[in-house]
Amino acid sequence: MALAVEMTGISKYFPSTAVQANRGVNFSAESGQVHALVGENGAGKTTLMNILYGLHQPDEGEIKINGKHVLVPTPNEAIHLGIGMVHQHFKLIPSFTVAQNILLGIEPHKYGLLRQGYENDMVRALADSFGLPVEPSEKVSNLTVGMQQRVEILKTLQRNAYILLLDEPTAVLTPQEADEFFKVLRNLAERGRTVILITHKLPEVMKVADQVTVMRHGEVIEVTSISDTNINSLAHAMVGRNIVFNKKESHVRPGEVIAEVKDLFVSSNNGAAAVMGVSFQVHKNEILGIAGVSGNGQNELTEAITGLREVDKGKVLLASLDITKAAVHERRKSGMAHIPEDRMTMGLNLQTTLDENVIVNQYRQKPYSRAGFLVAAAIRKLANSIIERFSVASAKTGEGIATLSGGNLQKLVLGRELSGNPHFIVASQPTRGLDVGSIEFVHKSLLDASRSGAGILLISVDIDEIFSLCDRIAVLYRGQIAGVLSAEDADEQKLGILMAGGNLDPAEEMTQ
Amino acid sequence: MSKSSFSKKINVLLVPVLATISGLILSSVILLLTNHSPIQAFSALVNSGFSCSKLTNCNFFQTLQLATPLILNGLSATVAFRSGMFSIGQEGQFLMGAIVAAWLGYAIHLPPVIHQIVLIAAAVLAGGMYAWIPGILKVKLNINEVITTVMMNNIAILFMSYVVNFPMNVDKGSTARSSPIDISATLPTFFQGSKWGVGFVIAIAASIIVYFYIWRSTRGYEQRMSGQSPLFARFGGIKTTRAVLRGMIISGGLAGMAGAIEVMGVHHRIMQGFSTGLGFDGVMVALLGQTHPVGVVIVGILFAGVRLGAQIGLQTFMQIPRELGGVIIALIILFVSADTFFKDVVQTTQKWLNKIFSRFRKA
Ligand SMILES: Nc1ncnc2c1ncn2[C@@H]1O[C@H](COP(=O)(O)OP(=O)(O)OP(=O)(O)O)[C@@H](O)[C@H]1O
Ligand SMILES: [Mg+2]
Repeated sequence: MALAVEMTGISKYFPSTAVQANRGVNFSAESGQVHALVGENGAGKTTLMNILYGLHQPDEGEIKINGKHVLVPTPNEAIHLGIGMVHQHFKLIPSFTVAQNILLGIEPHKYGLLRQGYENDMVRALADSFGLPVEPSEKVSNLTVGMQQRVEILKTLQRNAYILLLDEPTAVLTPQEADEFFKVLRNLAERGRTVILITHKLPEVMKVADQVTVMRHGEVIEVTSISDTNINSLAHAMVGRNIVFNKKESHVRPGEVIAEVKDLFVSSNNGAAAVMGVSFQVHKNEILGIAGVSGNGQNELTEAITGLREVDKGKVLLASLDITKAAVHERRKSGMAHIPEDRMTMGLNLQTTLDENVIVNQYRQKPYSRAGFLVAAAIRKLANSIIERFSVASAKTGEGIATLSGGNLQKLVLGRELSGNPHFIVASQPTRGLDVGSIEFVHKSLLDASRSGAGILLISVDIDEIFSLCDRIAVLYRGQIAGVLSAEDADEQKLGILMAGGNLDPAEEMTQ
Repeated sequence: MSKSSFSKKINVLLVPVLATISGLILSSVILLLTNHSPIQAFSALVNSGFSCSKLTNCNFFQTLQLATPLILNGLSATVAFRSGMFSIGQEGQFLMGAIVAAWLGYAIHLPPVIHQIVLIAAAVLAGGMYAWIPGILKVKLNINEVITTVMMNNIAILFMSYVVNFPMNVDKGSTARSSPIDISATLPTFFQGSKWGVGFVIAIAASIIVYFYIWRSTRGYEQRMSGQSPLFARFGGIKTTRAVLRGMIISGGLAGMAGAIEVMGVHHRIMQGFSTGLGFDGVMVALLGQTHPVGVVIVGILFAGVRLGAQIGLQTFMQIPRELGGVIIALIILFVSADTFFKDVVQTTQKWLNKIFSRFRKA
């Protein structure tokens, strides 16, 4: 088959961070195929695709599209060549509607006037034809991350891309959503389009891809077709060692109650009830998972517990202290840590230095500040210890963090949140977009924290993650707890039923 | 690492220098078109704005005096911008500070020092309260601060016109003005013949305090984080509305202080036309000075010097209208605000140099 993309000898050095992100990379993808690109955080996958999309210029190397030598100086040129890209971090305009975002720059018009009513119809038709339903008139700022991902994908499809670059498009989709999405990708490939898929989820690669390229430290390690490989050998190629997935051993007995939510009611941004009468307890040494399809009230629940959203009714207790109305910094002072779903805009401030990022939860405390002034030396020491303990590669104190890879950013958040030895940790999608090695690390850190006495609330749409970490699993459906299962009782089928709003067999419920 | 931070520093300096040079070149073209020698004109400008022949007849002292309100208003804008508020209300807060200082300057009588401190404190308070209004409208009702501060400026300009014509008006007939303030309330000057005095020292002290406050204190940290990334700040436990309001009040206080110093050190009263846009200039000074106190002081002095030089050097000695000085300043501003263009230029040049050097190394 013909090669749609052929990149040879691509090298890229970033002087600002002194990182050789790509080193003599040869990469090619056949047309009509789904080609997976995998590798650790910071391996240079995004850089390679940014080069193909005209966002970066390579120091060396050549690009051929459909057999022809091309230069891609700008994304505009890339779009012209039929290349579309969905970025790892969304580039949507939050105050615009879904339709306005999808049609940005190519709005339908007549006599120089926009045809707004028509926009929504166009988008609805597009969404239906690809099996990715969205509400065109909804504002993007009101959408869940999963939905935003969908909008990004539709935006590319609308621009008639023949070569689709997808940078971790499924990182926030539920398993069901992801399956739907793979059908779309297969469908696109069968119609002759080329899909290049960056992902960290190896089962996905096995399921959807035809070919796979593995990168490590800026170089291509392996190119094989899917039929000649398996998950373990891919994981090995990625990290250069065998990966051990930690499983929570259940010999630690949960201790006393550390956090409790009582009959909680919370509204979403548009005033609709999002959490309706949720109650649960988290014990010391225990990890309680909140499973569920995204958009069932997870965000509102998390924000209410962590103090970012007002509670309509009900109570939140931390170490038997009523913190329902407490300010965020009071909660943090009483030992709550929060690993937010969105590390780019909430977990970190990409515009400032690493030092100022690691103290946001404790800058009021000694030794980081004294008499109202920050103590640079103490902060630097903390930053260095986080970098070291959590091996945040290529991060340096006193410097910016905007160019760190996703995995390293998450390690930084984790390092900061765990550095004060919290009693209660709220972790929301803590491994979103991370590679297997980093996931292993995050899971290990959370297990360590729970072993040393912290209670953890883990909110995740990733069932595998829930299974491998949690002692008990609560399923959130339409703002209510549809059921709580202990780790031994839970299996994929039972969770699936609860997540879809079904009831477990009453006989089974009795035995619990 | 040290190399990259070094080249970053070079870029920070190189960009404004390149911009200034481009502005000068374009101004030269304009001078040539109007039949003036650019070299003569610029040397006259520099000689009059930055020269000092005698201590009692020193243009540079006057430049420093003119720079004082620019620096304080520039600091005011700096604090607001760094706290995430694009407040351009310096003009209004400056006038409110001036009105209060001028009024208390003659309405109450106190011994020296105390009188001066009371005036400045009252003006700071007035400016701060005046800035608090757009601040609270923003955090409570999310009303855009650019619009409210512009409207508040207009209110203050008209209010100033009202007080000098009616309640505070003395000697009807001449231009409307207030009574002079008590001697005890005026700020001392350093040399006879110039009004350069204690006000300038206050402005420099304020720059140093603002630097330490914004970059080293926990409250400054709260304000900067709230400005850069409100979501992050809230997530970390910073009360962002409080931080933003505090930023506005401090910003207003600095502008109000500028107003008081202008009254106490220069005019000793307020009058019709007291406002010459010094508040608006502060926004410019802050932006050109990279919203950093050091930049604000440097740009404030340069700005004042070019303005004085244009007035004396160009207008008096060369019969070039002083508006041309304004044109030159505007051109430089234009080029500096197009700094991304120069960043590109600098980066491309660096890339070229790197390529040439690496070829050398290979050979
Ligand atoms: N614009 C940039 N400036 C400087 N360094 C950069 C820039 N972009 C990326 N890097 C560095 O290049 C390396 C490769 O980054 P890249 O984003 O390509 O990794 P990745 O494989 O996509 O990782 P992830 O899976 O975490 O997204 C990283 O060390 C990163 O810090
Ligand atoms: Mg990436």
